[in-house]
Amino acid sequence: MSAFIYKTSESRHEDYGHLIWMLAKMDFKLRYQNSFLGYIWAILNPLLIFAVMNFVFSSIFSSHGGGDQFYSLGLFVGLILFFFFSEGTNAGMRSLQSKAQLVSKIYLPRWTIIMASTIHSAMVFLTNIIVIILFFIWYQYVPTFSAILLFLLFSCLMYIIILSVSMIIAPLFIKFRDMSMVWEVVLRVMFYASPIFYPLQMLPEWIQQVLLMNPIAFIVHFTKEAMFNNHFVDLWQFVAFFASSSLFLLFSLQAYKKLIPKVAERL
Amino acid sequence: MKTDISISVKNLSKSFRIPHKKMDSMRTAFVNTFRQNTYETFNALDNISFEVKKGEFLGIIGRNGSGKSTLLKILAGVYLGDCGEVYIDGRISPFLELGIGFNPELTGRDNIHLNATVLGLSNNDIEDKIDSIIGFAEIERFVDQQVKNYSSGMKSRLAFSVAIHSNRDILLMDEVLAVGDISFQDKCYEVFRYFKKNGRTIVLVTHGMETVNKFCDRALILDQSRIVNQGDPGTMVEQYKQLFKAGKS
Repeated sequence: MSAFIYKTSESRHEDYGHLIWMLAKMDFKLRYQNSFLGYIWAILNPLLIFAVMNFVFSSIFSSHGGGDQFYSLGLFVGLILFFFFSEGTNAGMRSLQSKAQLVSKIYLPRWTIIMASTIHSAMVFLTNIIVIILFFIWYQYVPTFSAILLFLLFSCLMYIIILSVSMIIAPLFIKFRDMSMVWEVVLRVMFYASPIFYPLQMLPEWIQQVLLMNPIAFIVHFTKEAMFNNHFVDLWQFVAFFASSSLFLLFSLQAYKKLIPKVAERL
Repeated sequence: MKTDISISVKNLSKSFRIPHKKMDSMRTAFVNTFRQNTYETFNALDNISFEVKKGEFLGIIGRNGSGKSTLLKILAGVYLGDCGEVYIDGRISPFLELGIGFNPELTGRDNIHLNATVLGLSNNDIEDKIDSIIGFAEIERFVDQQVKNYSSGMKSRLAFSVAIHSNRDILLMDEVLAVGDISFQDKCYEVFRYFKKNGRTIVLVTHGMETVNKFCDRALILDQSRIVNQGDPGTMVEQYKQLFKAGKS
């Protein structure tokens, strides 16, 4: 059977950047409409979990971390990073479904819709960074400049991972409606398998090595190490991490290309 | 390549697989890993070929389920065909319905920005045209209110207004004339005339025989996934009515 050819002499959208930005901006507007209170809800979730975990676990784990304030700050930074991942991938996964009209009644490159919803999560993350800064002021602690730089670098890598995951699970969610339940379990496993509320060092060496295979654990652990122990990730480790993230991005784009053509029919 | 053809469709076929057993969860997919899922193939479009000239107003008529909407979706790029070729010369409007992306919680102004962006307008275009869009829709007083407070007429006027300002060479429309009161419909007809005069190409899927007679330069009858006939609108409408009677009896 011969293939299908579709050609237009002029592209239908000139400016994908503007398109993505507009979709993300309107998402943001909708969620935090007319009020600062809307944003409070977004930060409330990590704050409450922080309060409980800090209350329960700081007495257990603080001796390893060297002082209460480091435990609390590390916990909070870890939580914010993890929430970035979970909110971002959840929004990415549901993006095509929730904007079904934009998929089935009009032609837009579908990746713009997925990307817009992850950008919305990134904007929430950026505002959360302000809360992190407030925490540091509260605890009167200033991390080194290199540690902050590493944190920002890791945040960018985190975004790339979120985008890669979303490109795969957004079309899969259209195909399999129970994808969301599977993903919820995966996220929960990743949460406990990441050194967010416990220090990695308390575990046996081989378990540490296994846990660090999880990209979220890797990011959280080395962010905390840099900020509070002034211990930086080895260059080869970082290069390996960067390379595998890039490979994963390439893989996800291939998966996206394979999964996306039938998405409009399945909706 | 400059020709006077704006849309050229050659040997286009599209079929849908309708599985006997729905496999829409990972659980069922896993349980049925080694079981062959049987399905029926439904040919929505069967070897369709036609051309639309530049500046032509083509009406597509046909009964429900004859493949009209599938054809339009393939022209817009929403669906991919199975085989065949579609060539489009000029900027095509990618939408099939009005008001795509409208969100009732956003204001009229935000919705204009969102909708116009989705239809392919750049930010500068939108800034230039927004007053004209608001003016045409006659919603000046309400533009900064949430769209959920609009009447349905206002909503459709706004949607239509954005659509006609999207400034495309080729417009695809699926049953738009059902919206609005008579005076707004007149306004729409006015716009169709204006588009025609400016040499835009329009493909309209409709059940409104009057509209076909009044505006279309040519009509095309689809029935059971094939093109039955195409040509002069008056003749086609008559033939379509015959077909309908035959199908009913």
